[in-house]
Amino acid sequence: MEIRLPQLGEGADSGVVVNILVKVGEAVKKNQTLIELESGKAVAPIPSTEDGTVQEINVKQGDKVSVGQLIATLLSSGSAPTSQPQVAATQSFTSAPQQHSAPHAQPTFIPAALPASGGAYQYQSQSGFPPPASPSVRAMARDLGLDLSRVRGTESGGRIGLADLRNYVMQIQAMATANPSSAPQSQPQVAAPKSPSIDFSQWGAVTKKPLTGLRRAIAKQMNDSWSTIPHVTQFDEADVTAISQLRKKYLADYDKKGVSLTLTAIILKAVTVALKKYPSMNSSLDLEKDELVLKDYIHLGVAVDTEQGLIVPVIRNADQKSIFELAAEISQVAEKTRSRKISPDDLKGGTFTISNLGGIGGGHFTPIINKPEVAILGIGRGVPKAVVQNGKIEVRSMMPVCVSYDHRVVDGAEGARFTRAFIEALENISDSDIQLSNAATKPAAKILVAPKVQVKKAGKK
Amino acid sequence: MSKIEADIVVLGAGPGGYAAAFYAATKGRKVLLIERDDRLGGVCLNRGCIPSKALLHATALLSEAKESAHWGIEFGSPKINLEKMRVWKESILSKLSDGIRGLAKRRNVEVMKGRGHFQGNNVLRLETDEGQKFIHYKKMILAVGSSPALPAVFDLGNKRIMTSTEALELEEIPETLLVVGGGYIGMELGTVYAELGSNVTVVEAMDSILAGADPDLARPVQEYAKKNFKEVRLKAKVSKMATAGKQIKVTMEYEGKKVEEVYDRVLVSVGRVPNTGDLGLKSTSVQLDPKGFIKVNSMQQTDDSDIYAIGDVVGGLMLAHKASKEARVAVDQLTGGHSVFEDVVIPAVVFTNPEVAWCGLTEAEARKRNIPVDVVKFPWAASGRAMTLDRTDGLTKLIVEPETERILGVGMVGVGAGDMIAEGVLAVEMGATARDLAECVHPHPTLSETLQEAAEMFYGHSSHAFSRPREHADQSV
Repeated sequence: MEIRLPQLGEGADSGVVVNILVKVGEAVKKNQTLIELESGKAVAPIPSTEDGTVQEINVKQGDKVSVGQLIATLLSSGSAPTSQPQVAATQSFTSAPQQHSAPHAQPTFIPAALPASGGAYQYQSQSGFPPPASPSVRAMARDLGLDLSRVRGTESGGRIGLADLRNYVMQIQAMATANPSSAPQSQPQVAAPKSPSIDFSQWGAVTKKPLTGLRRAIAKQMNDSWSTIPHVTQFDEADVTAISQLRKKYLADYDKKGVSLTLTAIILKAVTVALKKYPSMNSSLDLEKDELVLKDYIHLGVAVDTEQGLIVPVIRNADQKSIFELAAEISQVAEKTRSRKISPDDLKGGTFTISNLGGIGGGHFTPIINKPEVAILGIGRGVPKAVVQNGKIEVRSMMPVCVSYDHRVVDGAEGARFTRAFIEALENISDSDIQLSNAATKPAAKILVAPKVQVKKAGKK
Repeated sequence: MSKIEADIVVLGAGPGGYAAAFYAATKGRKVLLIERDDRLGGVCLNRGCIPSKALLHATALLSEAKESAHWGIEFGSPKINLEKMRVWKESILSKLSDGIRGLAKRRNVEVMKGRGHFQGNNVLRLETDEGQKFIHYKKMILAVGSSPALPAVFDLGNKRIMTSTEALELEEIPETLLVVGGGYIGMELGTVYAELGSNVTVVEAMDSILAGADPDLARPVQEYAKKNFKEVRLKAKVSKMATAGKQIKVTMEYEGKKVEEVYDRVLVSVGRVPNTGDLGLKSTSVQLDPKGFIKVNSMQQTDDSDIYAIGDVVGGLMLAHKASKEARVAVDQLTGGHSVFEDVVIPAVVFTNPEVAWCGLTEAEARKRNIPVDVVKFPWAASGRAMTLDRTDGLTKLIVEPETERILGVGMVGVGAGDMIAEGVLAVEMGATARDLAECVHPHPTLSETLQEAAEMFYGHSSHAFSRPREHADQSV
């Protein structure tokens, strides 16, 4: 019984083995997790499809595996062991001698049902025959100079039809013309050429670690955002003396409900107020259609620092949630994110991102916009400062505020106005915004917060 | 000495040459078609496919008449009029040949008779009945074909030692006939003579007849030969022939012994050789392979940029339909198209009794190349139509790629297999799956149902043949 990597979900056809949870000789149950696989930004458990005993584990930690690849071989508990467990009782003949069966076990055929994922597809068949396609489709491919083995066939048996050819051509065309107006004409459209590998060990000892899938995904996203968006970063400071006091005042009340009242939750609230005033900060640029897409919803991405690297889960409809709900959801989502249990869907659809480094320290910095959003808020550590107020010097707690925005969409004046609007909203957060009695009067819905406590959540969405 | 300027010259008017000439003319090019024979159509039409099929059809009636006795129909012994048979056969050939000439005329293809000889610098010297002509061509398509091989040791200048060309002339019905070579030509013509009453002995150097056909497809033909031929000797080799009065004394090695026998006639069918000998190709850049075939690339281009070559003269499967396909490729290339001769499914048909036909991947080839395949075989014993024809000695099989269920090859043996293989070609060329074939309704009661039933067997639900259901058989059917 061979366990192969199943379909992982949209756009994911491979992943890196991060954990192997079973040993050779171990008895496993159906649906028991065999390995954990990091794919994109999520970790997915890969379950056994049957009861049995692990005969062989065919992957090791750090391996990149693709859909269909052999993960483990089980001895089914239902069937008696045979001397040749590889040979199934089918009528097919495999003329290859036994030692040749190993390469055949590789998933050389990539099922046609896989979603298109760029131009990386390569048809391979066990029989060594070219991909199936009618003579007319082959003739057309020849006329157009297309290599059919790069085209994913969606018809029966993986056959390539006219529609597949058309999709492929459209895909290459889209790739070829991607971001032409955002990138300087002289720049190549493809990713920057890789820097040559340098042997750093010539100057001293080094430790080499392979890049995880997450790190590669971060690098790709950052590179894309940085190289295609003209960034402007607006610096300012918010006086957080008052809200720090408010926070202290209600900390215990929140704790009783099992929720930690964080500054981040309050900041999120203030952001929603400012975004409503300046909707262009809550938009995306569609260069394909020459449109600015203004979103009526506010889904806030919150940068979470995990052991493996930066992940940005999304808090949906943040403007419709109370500070209590935001605080509860942030801690819940952050926990899920750190344990890598967050689903890929929870990472999508953000309209604006907040990166709060205040807990770690530091002043102003220049956050990179999380494309396709057009702005990001960076928060530094609030520190007591001598501030002149009404002609007098006073000690106030001042928090560095950094707003990076896409200068194609947002002009400097608007960026500055948004920054001020956010600071004003933050400084004007009042008792009634944080008080729990307020939340408790709203219609409640149950959500699970933290592993142990159930709390009531207001404002059903 | 006359000088002729020509845009495209096609040398040889067989099924490759005339197809090329007509296609180029259809595409608006000025074409000159040159043939050394009086009759157009080449080997296929005059000394191959067509006359042999006429004779096979006529003589098949003889064995059917014998078999009809147990259907309750009896005939007296037939009278064979060889002269009439020859005339009938010739009438077909001249009809077809005239037809080609007429079509050439209507397409404004100029036809010339003569033997071509390359002079270099894009000049072809043509020996015609009216003397030499010099053709200055821009592009040349060589389609000069092949001839039956007659090894020097057998070439005694004795008309009783025949190649297929002479055998098709049907000069007489020899009492004893030795067929040297058990390939498709030997088996087809052996069948004609056996039906006419000759005692036919086939000698084959290899360990099976019909090289290239899967053994299970060749078996019914072997059975036929066992019954209707005197003998089929495998792994036997003729080493010498000598004239012995009105007969031929043949020396062969068979089963470790030297055997000396006398035959009334001998048919040598040991292959065909390209007609590249006396063309003066040395004055061009055309290169030949060690066997004398012209080397071409997948666009049918030779090493001479102005010369293309198609058909038997470039080797491979020496079949008329292969030549015609290559003609399309060459002309497309000449006229700015992008055709190539790659991944083309060329069906093979042996017109024995029963017929054998296959296309795409064969089972033997799959084994040889270690390609994992599923093979399903539908025996005609389970076909109602085969029973009504009293010919259940057939088999239809599919070679299927296991993971994709794509049909990689189709093989058949049985009456009419040569016509039915066309559906197999369509399936393989279209990248059809066994499911596609199983889902197509085939008319009942016909032999074509055996294709559908074979496909259904792949899923384990053929009505008339039992097979174990496949694991994933019942997903959608």
